[in-house]
Parts: sequence; structure tokens; C-alpha cells
Amino acid sequence: MNANIFEIKRFAVHDGDGIRTTVFFKGCPLRCIWCHNPEGLSAKPQLAYYAHKCVGCGECARVCPSQAHIMTNQAHVYDRHLCIGCGKCAKACLGDALTFYGKEMTVDELLPLLLEDKAFYENSGGGVTLSGGECLMQADFCAELLKRLKENGIHTAVDTCGSIPENALDTVMPYTDVFLYDIKAYDGEIHTKCTGRSNQQILKNLKYLDECGKNIEIRIPYVPGYNADQVEKIAYFLSDLKHVTKIRVLAYHNYAGSKYAALNIENTLPIQLPTDAEIQKAKDLIKSITNHPVST
Amino acid sequence: MKYIKEQDYEYIINKYHDSNKPFDGHKRFVRRDEIFAPETGMDGEMIKEGILRQDEALKDLPHPIRKARAFAYVLKNTRISCDPRDIFPAINMIDRPLNDTLINRWKKEVFEEILPEIGEKRKYMEKAGIVTIWPDYDHSVPVWERVLELGFMGLLAESEKARNERICTPEEDAFFEGIRITYTAILDFLLRLEKQATATKGAEKLANGLKNIRQAPPKTFYEALLLNYIYFMLCEHIEGLQVRSLSNFDKLYHKFYQSDLQRGIGEQEIRTDLAYFFLQFTAIGNYWNQPVFLGGCNADESTVISELSYLFLDVYDQMKIYNPKIQIKIADSTPKDFVLKALDMIRRGNNSIVFVSDATIRKALMRAGATAEQARTCDVKGCYEYSIQGAYSAGMNYLNLLKPMEYAMHQGCDGVTGHFSGLASPAVESYETFDAFYAEYKRHLASILAVTMHIVNSFEDYLSYINPQSMLSATIPSCLASGKDALLGGSVSNGSTVCPGFLADAADSLHAIRKYVFERKELTLTQLRDILDKNYEGAEPLRQKLLADREKYGNNKQRPDDLAVDLVNFITSRVVGKPNAQKRNGKWNCCFHVARMSYVQGAKTAASPNGRRLGEELSKNCSASMGQNREGATAAILSITKIDATSFASDAALDLGLLPSAVKGEDGLEAMYGLLMTFTRLGGHALHINVFDANTLRDAQAHPEKYQDLQIRVCGWNVLWNNINKEEQDGFIRQAQALV
Repeated sequence: MNANIFEIKRFAVHDGDGIRTTVFFKGCPLRCIWCHNPEGLSAKPQLAYYAHKCVGCGECARVCPSQAHIMTNQAHVYDRHLCIGCGKCAKACLGDALTFYGKEMTVDELLPLLLEDKAFYENSGGGVTLSGGECLMQADFCAELLKRLKENGIHTAVDTCGSIPENALDTVMPYTDVFLYDIKAYDGEIHTKCTGRSNQQILKNLKYLDECGKNIEIRIPYVPGYNADQVEKIAYFLSDLKHVTKIRVLAYHNYAGSKYAALNIENTLPIQLPTDAEIQKAKDLIKSITNHPVST
Repeated sequence: MKYIKEQDYEYIINKYHDSNKPFDGHKRFVRRDEIFAPETGMDGEMIKEGILRQDEALKDLPHPIRKARAFAYVLKNTRISCDPRDIFPAINMIDRPLNDTLINRWKKEVFEEILPEIGEKRKYMEKAGIVTIWPDYDHSVPVWERVLELGFMGLLAESEKARNERICTPEEDAFFEGIRITYTAILDFLLRLEKQATATKGAEKLANGLKNIRQAPPKTFYEALLLNYIYFMLCEHIEGLQVRSLSNFDKLYHKFYQSDLQRGIGEQEIRTDLAYFFLQFTAIGNYWNQPVFLGGCNADESTVISELSYLFLDVYDQMKIYNPKIQIKIADSTPKDFVLKALDMIRRGNNSIVFVSDATIRKALMRAGATAEQARTCDVKGCYEYSIQGAYSAGMNYLNLLKPMEYAMHQGCDGVTGHFSGLASPAVESYETFDAFYAEYKRHLASILAVTMHIVNSFEDYLSYINPQSMLSATIPSCLASGKDALLGGSVSNGSTVCPGFLADAADSLHAIRKYVFERKELTLTQLRDILDKNYEGAEPLRQKLLADREKYGNNKQRPDDLAVDLVNFITSRVVGKPNAQKRNGKWNCCFHVARMSYVQGAKTAASPNGRRLGEELSKNCSASMGQNREGATAAILSITKIDATSFASDAALDLGLLPSAVKGEDGLEAMYGLLMTFTRLGGHALHINVFDANTLRDAQAHPEKYQDLQIRVCGWNVLWNNINKEEQDGFIRQAQALV
């Protein structure tokens, strides 16, 4: 069994407790306008070209079997339509300008990489987090990987948008110590506007996880002008849940702009950033409504 | 500043240097004749002339006595100031007057007349960037416990007692006489200071303190600080021997702290005294910064950390200074909240703090022959190094690990100057395997190590001839028991150190040769050598490829890491435990920091096979080569901890860069703690953390005025960002760019 992975990030410190390694799975059912991992949206492999890093070495043109890369007057020209997605150019690139997002990997290939930092997990209360994209679009693979991690004594977390069938949760539940669960909006209309999909399944799945007694860390992205007014309603909804271990308010940032350009996809990132005061106010509001701990 | 009045701050910060003028910390020898009242003594040049005049009449006497007389002359005549704006006196002669007059002459005599060949070899090796060797007077640590217990008068009495209990040889008698003259001069000097303080309105605290420490050991926290400061100033700046520890501070000063509180001296006063004490070292401004230890374990393995340790960090944090610099000994019993407090300071940019592993240090010292008690109570003795109390371990003898590669590729000749090393190698075409090339590399490395050790063994028997040490020796019981100078075998242990540098560049370069020449056969070794000789001119794609290759030391990649480990093991097997100079009767040791050599020797090092160009900066300490820690913090730690840091009783330091975004919030602080604890539990020795991102550093380079207080760790010490040159700044920006 293979999964399509676009990044393995070591020393991840904001994807659950302690020092973690986060595995990013490709493909996502949502299209959040503020998405900061656009390379995880499509389930297919993608080549990103970061023009500012190109050193003009021409190695990509040398290895490309489809002439998608050509050098003209020592300048690199990339024709995305000719690309067949083989990834040879990214391997040959000397300037880290070409990055191939999406690598088919087996559990046996992934596991040793994830165990490298075991000492750090143990000394910091950390572990491995599966994220994306939406990792539970590849739930069977996740279950197998998580099972193997548990066999090795590793703390596991699954970061999900929740917009997945309930049985995907069932598949991974026995091997997952904590779910990192995103809530983007409470009102269905606003959710659809911001993410392209309804949140009915998301809210239903969250309640289901809670009923199953799983530990859940809630993550609320805070995006001014889009979902900022949803915080209060989300907090009321969460206050009825029994197994929320922590609520995090994630301040929207626009660092992903260069990725949209590199992937040649439409940049939907909002312009307005939240202030520290707004984030603090949102946290205080949640604290005033729920008894769940709110991350500082 | 919260603890220091504004006018006091202005006075103290200008005591030793004019803070309005550019100050180059590398020029140690600065003094300010003009700010001292002429009636308090002679100006600096007059004193130096006086020393030489006096010494003319003493030429037949042994060096310890001649030097002690010169020391006494300085103390009698130097200008002083006891000012109501300060609680520590100012002493004018901080430019090491005995160096200019006696010590450098005796050094010249040794290297030009007694050991001319050794002198020439030493000079050549330094000039060619092979090994930087010098007689080391830079790493002393008095037995602080005795200094505080006995005071100057008690140290003198103990020395005289030891002298009277034996029938002295002429050498021994000169040794004790040197101590007698030196400490008598110190007591007279204290009286001179005391008289001036007494006559100065507003300097009563200083006057009383001086009087008390002249007559008896210190009783209060302030008196202990005053004694520490006076010892430091006189030994470092006049005796000409750097004092590299302000002690295991929280351990030794806790009793003074407690007794002050019992006597009704308020905590606020203790904080203020400490702040004024710190500011002295900030004002002196030695570029290497003044180290001080906190933490470690008591005899029952409980933590040394006490309320005084927290107070110490509080005051230091508030002052936003980087000199003195702090080493914190981390043990399993070290309270987490104390470590978090220090880590929080670091992520806020107040990062003149290094963490060292108590367990690793103790294990290493015991492997080297120390008792458990000696290992537990060891002191800091340099930027990262440590030693048992009462030891004098000379060093550093910085050795360039890239030079053997140049020799192996150029038939035994230097890759930059073309000079023959004295050991021929086969033509570059003749290496058929990597193993053959690597064996030749090691043959040259072994040869450089042997030459280095021979040079050092030859002149270290003259260490105390050049610069006898009365102040230090009087604090070490074994010196008094043996009647020997601390630098001539009198210390508890008398080691010598070689410090091989640029481990990462060496391992990466060797691995690149193995991979691209012998395995992939992308080019021949001859072609590679020619490319390196041309400094990669016309071969930029190859250089980019070598730079882009992530299989490099410091990224938890097995093959280059194995090479680094093998190099360390090879070096330790050739060095550690070997006998050093005959009269010193100690053992050789090695350490792995590089100080400023990454620039100094880097400038003299040919282009290397890992993509580095001729003259560029080389890697620091045991960290990845410049900009090559691309797999992040955990990988860097996993790489360095493959090295057995207990196989040599000295430093293996990792400089870790972290992005501000990775360490923000509660999670970030916990993650820093997790990194540190994993590092120490995996057997790491010293960890220093820089929190920065490339954009901030670029902005700081473009707008220095906005970043007046941005400090950065150079290599064992901190500096203000604005005080390093553009080349050094670019190096940090490259490092930050690579952070993930």
C-alpha cells in the first residue's frame, strides 16, 4: 500500500504536544481560501518552480524527457503543459528551485524516517502527526502507519479537517492518541463560502469523536473578514463536548504566497492579517464561554 | 537600567574604554590614563619605563621574583579611582604592562634564542594556516573556594607556612618569594585603594569593603564580589594570565547570600551589588566574554540551583548584557522552570548563555582520571571548556583539518602556497580507491598532530619561565605542597590541548571525494584537484551540485557523520593521554571548538571539495558547515551526539540556529526544552542556541541603527551584530537561510 506524501517536517512544534515529526499527505476535500499548504490540495503530484532560487545551471533541461524545461540565453523557461510529472528535474536541480510535491511512499519507507527522532519525542512528550492536505483521504494507509508507530511506542496525532466519511475516523481511531481537529466556521453558509464545502459532516464527525471518548485538540484558524465572527458560535458548540484537551486559535498568515506562484495556481490568500489584540480577544472570548483549556 | 542609576552607568561603562568611540574588542590592550587623577599615580608609559628601570638592577634574580617586583611596582604606582558612582574601584593599568616589558622579552628569548627552530616552525605553521600555536596564558581558574575562604591575607599566610615547612631549593624559594612579594603588594594596594575610598564622599561602602577584605576573608555577598573583582583585575590585567571563570557562582556565593539575608541586608541590595558587578565586565569588554558557571549537582546529587541562581538570571536578563557570559550545567535534577527561564531569555535575544551537560562532563573527566568529587566540582575554563579545580590545562593549538587534504592532493604541498609540508604524497592520479586517499589524508593529519605536539612539548617547559604565576599558584594547594608554579607541573593536573577545527568541512569534503570521484566517477581526483586549484572557476555547476547535496555532516546522514566520528576517534587515539612537556608532567587532550579560526585559517585554506571557495569561512565547533544544517535541529543534534564527547575531557559544542516562529509561545519554549534535554541525554556536551531569521538579519545589515542591541553568538562568545564585519554578517545570514 502506498500513500502520496508531499512533505515530512521534523522538529514540528505546533502540530500537537512536544517535538513532533509531521507527515503531510496530498489531497484535500476543502478549498479554504486562506490555505497555507496549497501544494497539498491536489491529490496528484505537482512540480513547483521557485524562480527566485534558480541558479541557471540547466540541469533540469538536461534530464527532462519531455522538454518541459529549456534554457534560452542561460535563462530557464518552464512549460508546465509539457510536464509529465516524472520528478527527474527536481532531483537534478542544483538551486532547490524545483520541488516535486508528491512522493509515493510505503509504510516501510516512512517508518524508519519517523523513528529517527524518537529520542526527541520521548524527552518532550512529542510524537508523530499525520496531516496534509487531508490525511484521512488515505485512511487505510494512515491506519497501518499509525498502528506501526504505536507498536514502536510513539505518541500519534491525526490532524484532520473533518470533512471525511465517518468510517475513515473509525479506521484510524484505535491507533490515534489525539485528533487535531479544525473548525473553520459554525454557520454552514459561511463555511461553504470559505472552504467550498458544507460543514455538516465536520460537526457531526466531531461530536462522534467526542462520544467515542477520543482526545481532541481543536484548531480554529482566525481570518479577519472571513470567519472572525464565528468564534463565539464555535465556542458555544465546543462547550458541550467532553474530550477537548485544548483549543488553539491559529492566527492567519500569508507566508504561502510564493507557493501559489510556484505552483502556478490562483492565489486566493486574503490580504488582511489579524492583530495580536484580535487573537487575544478571540482567546478570551472562548475562555469566557467554555471550560476547555485555550492555548496561549 | 533598573538596578543601576543612569549617572553611575555612564561612569562605569566609560571606566575602561570611551563608549562613544568605536571599540575593537580584539585589542585587549587599552587603558585610559586621561580619566584618572594624575595625583593618584603615574601614567602608563611612565610605569612601563619604571618597570624596566627597576628590572635592570634585578637581572640576576629568578623570573618569579623579577616579575613579582614588577607587579608590585605597577600596583604601587598605577592610577586608581574610587568613585561614589561605583562600588568597585577603577584601576588604570588594564593593558597588561608586564607583557610589554618583561613577558614578551622572555617569550622572545625562548622562541628566538633558546628554541629558535621551534620558534620558526611555530611561526610558519601559523602563517600558513596549518596550526595556530602559542604559549597559553589565557585559560586559568583559581581555586575560587580557597580564595573566598582565605582572602588575600590568608593565601599569603598559607604560602609562607608551606615555605617554612620545607627546606627550599633555590627554585622553590624563588617561587615562594614571588608569591610573598605579589600578595604583599596586593595587600598594600588594597590599603591604597581603601585610603582613597575613605577620602571620597559617597564611597563609604567601597571603603569598608576594601578594609574588610584586606584584613580578613569576605563575610558579605558584596565583599565576596569585591574580592572576586580585585583578583580578576590584578591577575588578568597585570599578572598577565586570563581568569576564565568567575566561579561556580551559585554554589560558592549562596552562603554569602544567605548570611546577608540573615543579617538583614535586603535582597534588593544584593541584586544591585550583582548588577554593578556584572557591569564591570561589560565595561571591560573583552571580546571573548567573561564566563561564569551556574547549576550542577551537590554531593547528594541534588541541584545546586537555588534562589540565588534565579536572582542571578533575573538581574542579568534585566540588564540585557552579554558579558559576562553564562554556562549552565544541566543535570537531571536541574529544575525545569529554571531552564525554561534561561531558554525564554535566549529566544528573546538575550542569548549569552550556553548549556552544558553535567553528566557528560563528569563522565569525561573521570575517564581522564579525575575522582568523582573532582569531576562534580569542576569549573568552566574557557568558552566551552572545563577542568577540575586546581588544574592548569594549556591550549589551544588550533589545527586546520582541511590542510591534510590539500597535502594529499598536491603530493605533500600546501594547496594555497605550494610549500612542501615535509611529507611527500603520491601523485594524485595514483589513488585507486577512496580508502587509499583517506589513508594518505590520515597520514598527513597524524604528521601535523605529531609536529604540533612536539613544538608544544618543547616550549611548554618554559611557560613559567616566560610568565611565572604567583597569584594563581597561591590558590592551588598542590602548588604550595610541591613548591612549583601552576604552569610548571604544580597544578593538580597540567594538561595540554590540541584543538582540531572544521570537522564538518573535513567530513563533507572527504565524503564528496568518496561519492563523486570514487563511487559515481563523475570526475577524476585530478580533475577535482585542478578545479579546486582554480577555485571552481568555470565549474560553477559542479560547485552548486556539491553545495546542494544534502548528504552532509550535521544532518543525521550516516555516511558523512561516520566520517566525522572516525576523524574524532583517529585524533583522540593519537592525542588523548599522551605525555606532554617533561617538567609539566601532564597529559595531552583535545577539544573541538574553533574560536575565530573559521575566519583566520579559513582565509588561508584552499577551495574545498564540499563546494566552499578559497578563503571562505570554515565550519564552527562541531556544527554543520556554513549554511548546511538543512535537516533541522533534531538532525543536527543526532549528528553531533554520534561523537563520543566523553572520549576527550573538553568541548564538543553545537551552535544551533532556530527560527523565531519555531520557538514562539508555550509550545516553542517546551520544544526548546525538549531539544536541550534530548541533547544532554544523548551524551552531548555543550549547546548554544541562536534564534534568528534571515529577513531580520538582512534588515539589521541594511539598517544597523534599528538593531543597536541585537547580539549574536560568534563562536563561544557573543557580540553585538553591529560590531562584526560584513563578511561575518553574511555568514550568519547564510546560516539563517538554511534553517528549516
